[in-house]
Amino acid sequence: MELDNLKGIWQDVRPGMSSGRESLLPLLQQRSRGPVARMRRNLRIELLCIIVAYIPLILFYLVEFQGRLRAISLLLLVVGALFCAYYYRKSRLLNTMQCLSCQVRSNLARQVGTLKRYTRFYLLASTIVIPAMAILTYIIFHLQLFYPGEGTVYHRLSPAPWWKSSTVWLLMLVPFTVVMYYFNAWYINRLYGRHIKKLQELLREMDEE
Amino acid sequence: MVSTDQQEAFIRLVDQHRGILHKVCRLYCFTDTDRQDLFQEIVIQLWRSYPRFRGDAKFSTWLYRIALNTAISDLRKQRPPTTPTSPDQLPTELQDIQYSGEKEQQLQLLYTAIDRLTEVEKALTMLYLEDKTYQEMEEILGITQNNLRVKMNRIKDKLRKMTKEATYGIG
Repeated sequence: MELDNLKGIWQDVRPGMSSGRESLLPLLQQRSRGPVARMRRNLRIELLCIIVAYIPLILFYLVEFQGRLRAISLLLLVVGALFCAYYYRKSRLLNTMQCLSCQVRSNLARQVGTLKRYTRFYLLASTIVIPAMAILTYIIFHLQLFYPGEGTVYHRLSPAPWWKSSTVWLLMLVPFTVVMYYFNAWYINRLYGRHIKKLQELLREMDEE
Repeated sequence: MVSTDQQEAFIRLVDQHRGILHKVCRLYCFTDTDRQDLFQEIVIQLWRSYPRFRGDAKFSTWLYRIALNTAISDLRKQRPPTTPTSPDQLPTELQDIQYSGEKEQQLQLLYTAIDRLTEVEKALTMLYLEDKTYQEMEEILGITQNNLRVKMNRIKDKLRKMTKEATYGIG
């Protein structure tokens, strides 16, 4: 088979069905189902879940129990603010992830680079979120120990000296964080690993002579 | 906000070039459902990018870039079918075209062979068959012309070998 001899036949190929105005028009109203659009949608759902779960909780701890557990509201507020930063960063990365009207090679290079940054950030954020929450919880409750009065929930739960409980918390956090890191790395690789590898292969193929 | 005139102009342009879109979908997908999904996705992406189209490049170059970028990036649709493509299976886009027996056979062979190429090779083969110059191919793909020539020669050899295998049952 000689490719040059087939140019004529190939160029004669016309689509059997006309796309036509009527069939194209509804497509213009549809949402993209591409990988980046799906990632963006998932991120928005994540944000919505946080808003729906956090706001009632923050208000609940703020007004209930005669305000004694306001510290939890504060904790949730800090975590919520951290999540907003996380959302903003991820959203910015997604916005720059592809340039479909660019040359195919440059678009692939952009996708590989941005997707790698995206997964690195995802790994970092998902690994530190629980230790960060634990440390914040500890600080918030521990600070209340210095308030005079009947003592806090934390004080009643853990009457041991502060340095003892701090050490126990840290000793528990370190292995937990390590395990979380490896679990997240596995999970993120499962989500995006194959995609990144495939894109890298395509890029390599385009570059090799 | 896109005006109705722009929308009509866009639809007219896409309709004029729909052959390109159908060929991209035919090359990058193995099932009719996937082809339809990819066609829709390309049209959506073209429409979203249309307000930024300034006419610096030819419309067809811009369209090829978006179509190929969409097809290559969406890796879900590129899984080959569990059974290999039968040479008797004529793509739906071709159903209204009657070729002489020999031409039809050649076209079927070509499609079967292209199905076995990589995504990058498919893009190159398609642009070559569309009679694009190496400069146009470089504008669309971003591969240097020298590299394109090397790759094209390799693809031609590969296709020749595949056809020989299919014809004589080697491999």
